Amino acid sequence: MNATHHVGYVLVAIAGLTMVTIVTRSSFFMLPARINLPERVERALRYAPACALTAIVVPKIFVPNGELFLSVQNNQMWAVLAAGAVFAKTRNMLLMMTVGMAVFTVLRLYA
Amino acid sequence: MVKVGMPVPLALLMTMVVFAGSAQLAVLPLLVSGAPLPIVWVTALLVNLRFVIFAAAMRTYFSQLTWKQRLFAGYLNGDVGFALFLLRYAGVRERGTTFQWGYFFGIATVNWVSWQAASVAGILLGGLAPTEWGLELAAVLALVAVVVPMLSRVPVLLGVVVTAVLSVVTIHIPLKLGLLISVLAGVLVAVVAERSHVSEPVDLEQPA
Repeated sequence: MNATHHVGYVLVAIAGLTMVTIVTRSSFFMLPARINLPERVERALRYAPACALTAIVVPKIFVPNGELFLSVQNNQMWAVLAAGAVFAKTRNMLLMMTVGMAVFTVLRLYA
Repeated sequence: MVKVGMPVPLALLMTMVVFAGSAQLAVLPLLVSGAPLPIVWVTALLVNLRFVIFAAAMRTYFSQLTWKQRLFAGYLNGDVGFALFLLRYAGVRERGTTFQWGYFFGIATVNWVSWQAASVAGILLGGLAPTEWGLELAAVLALVAVVVPMLSRVPVLLGVVVTAVLSVVTIHIPLKLGLLISVLAGVLVAVVAERSHVSEPVDLEQPA
């Protein structure tokens, strides 16, 4: 049993998330032309997505069950490192996914 | 989404209306743990802030459309549409031609249909895979693929490192507030780091 079974909670969450999509994507399409994004603000905005995604991904890898799992036996860590390196080099999403899942599966079965 | 226990109809609804893959994957662990809704929404907002930059960069091509058309165009304007549209029209002087709108809505439609088809297939088929295959890892990998291209400059690298460390250190702060703290600290560090790197040029058209 987890929170996603509470239908009302999820429905309200989805309604808000849809608003977030609309507000961010349509933002400057709807604003009057005289309102512009100051360059400094734009730069700050540019950093937020990378940091937000990092704040989601890193705990998923290193704190999988509420306990810090900083160890060479952390299979997910090796999978993400391998996949990240492949993607940085090739920008090929399918290849990076395949490598990541393969590394994870091999370690899970044989390490 | 179904893999972590979300009922299929809710997962389908979420994909159909939210239509923001990275944000959906990012908030999923929060929804599973029953995080407060403001934290869920702010997290999605932070992940989606790149779209504000997209909209600012593309607004002049759409300014002659009615407000409903602009709202709709914005809603459909994801990473793919932004990248392909500006690849073709970034340099043109005449902005807002019907041909440009056709090109945009053509890409957007194909992207929407293929994205939704893949999502629905994933929702319906994902449940068939045994948990120990680690399909949840695929969601993590997808987010890594979004982050990696963003790491091209020193300030953002510093910000991400700070966020990474803090996100683990602050994990037990109630209400998932550690998430927000670590993101804000990371952004702050990146902005400050950039001040000492001001001579470095910024490439605006860098889609995620």
